[in-house]
Amino acid sequence: MVSCVYIETEIRDHPRARKLLERLCNLPLVEIEHYGEVFNPRAQNFRLQKKNPAIIIARKNDGHVLAAPEGYGLGGSHNYYFSHMLNCIYDCRYCFLQGMYQSANQILFINYEDFGERIVQVAAKHRSEAVWFYSGYDCDSLANEPMTEFTDYFIPLVASIDNAWMELRTKSTQVRSMLKLQPCERIVTAFSFTDPVSHAKLEHGVPSIAKRVDAMRRLIDAGWSVGLRFDPVVYHQDYQAAFVNLLDEIFTTVDPQKLHSVSLGGFRLTRDHFRKVARLYPEEPLFAQKMDLDNGIISYPLEREREMIEYCEAQLMKHIPHQSYHPCQWHG
Amino acid sequence: MLIWVSALHCEAKPVIDYYRLKKSHDDNAFDLYRGDDMLCIISGVGKIASAAACAWLAARYDHEASIAWMNLGVAGSGQHEIGAAFSLNQVIDADSGQRYYPVPCAGSLLPGSACLTLSQSSEDYREDTLYDMEASGFIYSALRFSSAELTQCIKIVSDNRAHQTGKNRQRVSDLIHQNIDTIGQQANALIALNKQIAGLAVNPESWQQLIALAHFSQTQKNRLRVLWRYLMNRDNSAETVLQKLRGCSSAATIISTLELLSYQDSEGL
Repeated sequence: MVSCVYIETEIRDHPRARKLLERLCNLPLVEIEHYGEVFNPRAQNFRLQKKNPAIIIARKNDGHVLAAPEGYGLGGSHNYYFSHMLNCIYDCRYCFLQGMYQSANQILFINYEDFGERIVQVAAKHRSEAVWFYSGYDCDSLANEPMTEFTDYFIPLVASIDNAWMELRTKSTQVRSMLKLQPCERIVTAFSFTDPVSHAKLEHGVPSIAKRVDAMRRLIDAGWSVGLRFDPVVYHQDYQAAFVNLLDEIFTTVDPQKLHSVSLGGFRLTRDHFRKVARLYPEEPLFAQKMDLDNGIISYPLEREREMIEYCEAQLMKHIPHQSYHPCQWHG
Repeated sequence: MLIWVSALHCEAKPVIDYYRLKKSHDDNAFDLYRGDDMLCIISGVGKIASAAACAWLAARYDHEASIAWMNLGVAGSGQHEIGAAFSLNQVIDADSGQRYYPVPCAGSLLPGSACLTLSQSSEDYREDTLYDMEASGFIYSALRFSSAELTQCIKIVSDNRAHQTGKNRQRVSDLIHQNIDTIGQQANALIALNKQIAGLAVNPESWQQLIALAHFSQTQKNRLRVLWRYLMNRDNSAETVLQKLRGCSSAATIISTLELLSYQDSEGL
């Protein structure tokens, strides 16, 4: 349940802001000067706020498109990310966003044209080489689609730039808007999954696996490129059987030959994020499991991680062609 | 614990009566009323007095796992009827221009409003905001000790362009009393939120028993606290876990025993 709407006074008359306000007219509205006034103060409790987050309608003034962190992406040479939203409507206990910001409120940036201008500039800088733009780093790309109408603006834009590729990363089923658009093979909608046990225990508010698999199928049937992200793979005593069940559920509906890419990686967080999230949720078994610190990253001990990844890879390879597989590489 | 902060006794009286709070005779810096997991302090008029009252109480009750704060008082308004009640969603300090944003309670029955905190009383009302003399000092101080979700301000309009009743103490009490059920509901929501956070804290008695078992370095204590918080939030009784530690002869073995218990407990997610 959303608690209220904050809006920067300066953008109140922006057409996209007006449309959002019409949609959110039943919620209390508070005008602010800059989103940082509400989003950045230290005296916020992320855990309490996550239950009733506010929506902040704002303009992003700089840093519209940034270089992706090392190791992020599908092996391309030029990787960038951009965030038309900050934070996510879902509440996944393993997610690094819990330790990223002071606030659980969701920011919706409405100045898409500034993002678009920068995307065009970055793509032009690399001339004819492929450039990847990842949109689901600080948010779920599609989860708020009925409100944000993100795809209406960004898909035609990226489709019009010959060397631009875009990944939409999502756990949602919000594909209706995409189904109305002309498919483009350089736009990849990547669906994230964890096994059914992890999904039930850790992914609060996320649509069921079956509904998401159906959303994937609808996109594939319409001619869109679709990817699968098994990231993070979470350890529990039944992870092997649960992962096999997940693959069965997906591949009884989805033709693996039609997948653009598949990636897989174990649970990991930076040490600072891990400590922050573990303090927020002291009762959470995920943070009480045996973990090791490696190069600033907290993850499963190497032996356990290797065993998990090898098992899951072996199961995955029974379904998908090898060339579509991209393991998540993060160890130094 | 919920702490009510009001400038005047007449503003606090409806709450004191509603919750049957009893005057404390042990304190003389401020008038203080006590109840079941609840306090009400009379700060005096002005933002500095309000901030001082919050700080004084926070220091005295720093052993509390979590404190929720409620500033209750009257305000002036250019447009609202006398007796209208508001939950503040923006507080602006007129002197510094500093703005604060108390988080609205989801499902609150009270409409939200901005409030300008003045150092001197004024009858020069603007349409779009309430006027008071405490909220910015209250919230500045309370946010040092709690989060914005646990810090609320409720203001009842006592003065507008047509009527000024803010100096009539009985009338002030009556205006607040008229809204006491809604105020009580808002307080209940705040208490429920606060319990969620307080419930995660380590019980100080069992913690003392635990650290008395061996000599722990600060680093070991940090690790111990993480493990203990986890196990105590997973329906283990402190007695049972402490019993399992009786045979441990050193800090390291206590920690490794607790780690083993945590790993076993977390296997199933």
